[in-house]
Amino acid sequence: MSPAAIDARDVEVTYSDGTEAVRGIDLEVPDGEFFGFLGPNGAGKTTMIKTMATLLKPTGGSVTVNGFDVVSAARKVRESIGYMAQETTVDEELTARENLRFACESYGVPKADRADRIKELLDLVDLADVADKRADDFSGGMKKRLDAATALVHRPPLVFLDEPTTGLDPKARNRLWDYFGRINDQGTTIFLTTQYLEEADQLCDRISVILDGEIVETGSPAELKREVGGEILDVEIGGDAALAEGDAARAEGDDGPGARERAVEVAREAGLFDDASIQITDDGISVTTPNAQTQGTDLLVALRDAGVTVTGFNVHAPTLDDVFLAITGEELEHADVEAPEQAALAGGED
Amino acid sequence: MAPSSADDDTPAATATAPTDADPGTAIADGGRAASEGAAATAASGEAVARSSNSFLGDFWINFKRWNLKAVRNPFVLVVSLVQPIIFLVLFTQVFGNLAGGALGGPAGAGPSYETFLVPAIAVQVSLAAAVTSGIGLVNDIENGMFEKVLVSPMRRTAVFLGKTCAELLRIAVQIGIILVLGVLLGANLATGVPGALGIMAVGVLFSLWFIALSNTLAVLTRDQESTIIVANLLQFPLLFLSSAFLPLDVLPEWIQTFATFNPVTYGVDAARGIMLNADVMTVLDVTTFGGVWDTLVPGLAVLLALDLVLGAVAVFMLRRASSSAVQ
Repeated sequence: MSPAAIDARDVEVTYSDGTEAVRGIDLEVPDGEFFGFLGPNGAGKTTMIKTMATLLKPTGGSVTVNGFDVVSAARKVRESIGYMAQETTVDEELTARENLRFACESYGVPKADRADRIKELLDLVDLADVADKRADDFSGGMKKRLDAATALVHRPPLVFLDEPTTGLDPKARNRLWDYFGRINDQGTTIFLTTQYLEEADQLCDRISVILDGEIVETGSPAELKREVGGEILDVEIGGDAALAEGDAARAEGDDGPGARERAVEVAREAGLFDDASIQITDDGISVTTPNAQTQGTDLLVALRDAGVTVTGFNVHAPTLDDVFLAITGEELEHADVEAPEQAALAGGED
Repeated sequence: MAPSSADDDTPAATATAPTDADPGTAIADGGRAASEGAAATAASGEAVARSSNSFLGDFWINFKRWNLKAVRNPFVLVVSLVQPIIFLVLFTQVFGNLAGGALGGPAGAGPSYETFLVPAIAVQVSLAAAVTSGIGLVNDIENGMFEKVLVSPMRRTAVFLGKTCAELLRIAVQIGIILVLGVLLGANLATGVPGALGIMAVGVLFSLWFIALSNTLAVLTRDQESTIIVANLLQFPLLFLSSAFLPLDVLPEWIQTFATFNPVTYGVDAARGIMLNADVMTVLDVTTFGGVWDTLVPGLAVLLALDLVLGAVAVFMLRRASSSAVQ
């Protein structure tokens, strides 16, 4: 039986100032999986990833990476992993090729293989045409791709990516996703941290939601989204006049429902959704459903048949906030990107 | 495993690619498609076998990186030479005649001021170049390369040794340039080429304690400006309150006292001893070795002791900074 790529038991990391960044994490990531840590800033994602990559020693518990203990066999771990830090890290005074050569040498890629390996990686991250340009001339996305390539020189069976796409434009981000997907398809285990549900959804086989240094939920993206109950369908009802009319009618003691109440009634009668998933919003109704696209159409038809005026219609996937709300019952605190770990850590107690 | 051919999505095809010189990789490439067990073990086992650099190998990698960076950034190389060169030219031209008197007269038995000054400038070069060592480290810490190196399997000691040796090489080259320039300006190097090499060696030995100091500052402040400011602030008092620019016996008593405890005095005296092939040290009265050795032995001994003490401090600080213990 091969060891799991990552096997963490009751890991704790407490900084000397008393900050408990990681508070008892158990984690098992099998070989070949694309695994994600999803959580807000300061949740302990980076601390945990640094602990697994031997940059920090756990103050409690144990971590085994590729079968090696991160404390007693740190060097073996380092040889068998690739690590891409949150901040883009390239030597800007060197060219792309020189950066890759230094990485090859650092990881002891045999001399005979180096040139081929460098060429292969330059092609992989689309930097072959600027291979001999200095990295300080590169855009943010190009540097990030070069950084990613340097983490792969030794064909590590496990790669850690700490918020790899933060700060990138959508095009650059999609390109990186594509690379990560390909590497994983070829058998590399990938451990990624992210603040974006979309990213985790797109890439990961399995996700752990991490909050205040603890894992609060683990599952496939589909399972996590089921926690939220699917996608969210917003229907805007009538004009201001229609709403005012309904409200006015109620104020006058008229039992006839307003436009929004009428819409909810229609939605219930249509039998498309759980009653609990239908809510009244400021300008219409909102429905949470696993199948918003098709049911949305049915709902619109039903509303039209019932004579309710629909002025707007919008389907959106659950956001990280939605997942957090569903799983933890608390709103996700929007900390600044630069916010220290403590800011968000102060948030929750269990 | 990792992509051995980027455009190839089928692991099987990758595994059988004839260009793949690494048999272990071929097995590992099939790791996911094949049953986990054996293939996955091969994956981690292979990764380990692949990454076994020797200590010397690790040293060489880092030595090369820092030399490459120095060549890539000739600005640093030039700037750390400009100030000493300005000193050399201005001091000899402006103070040359005056200082000549203090040295025993231009027509007398004393050396010319050029000859007297060149060893001091060599030591100044060592100081200036040593400052950049800490700056390089701070840069690496700030841009993440420090962490990137730490997460690699390279041995820490080899990493820092490689970097330091690249800096020492640069210092030796810069001192060589100063010596050539000095001779062109009329300085007389009594001991010839072996003497020149000796002065370079003195400069290297001298620079080590300041390299240690600037790296300690770098780790402590983790800030480029602070490292530069503190190191530069130290440079001038150290240079002027020593035997660098004038013989100590013409300077006020308090400077003579300070100079006795100033490492620059020992570096300058050792270099000057070689330059003049004579016992020039006045702060310590050693007579046991005879001739220039009465200057060299105590001078080098003091520098060595200082290097060891400050070096130990720097090693301690660097070890702490690169340890994975949670702080």
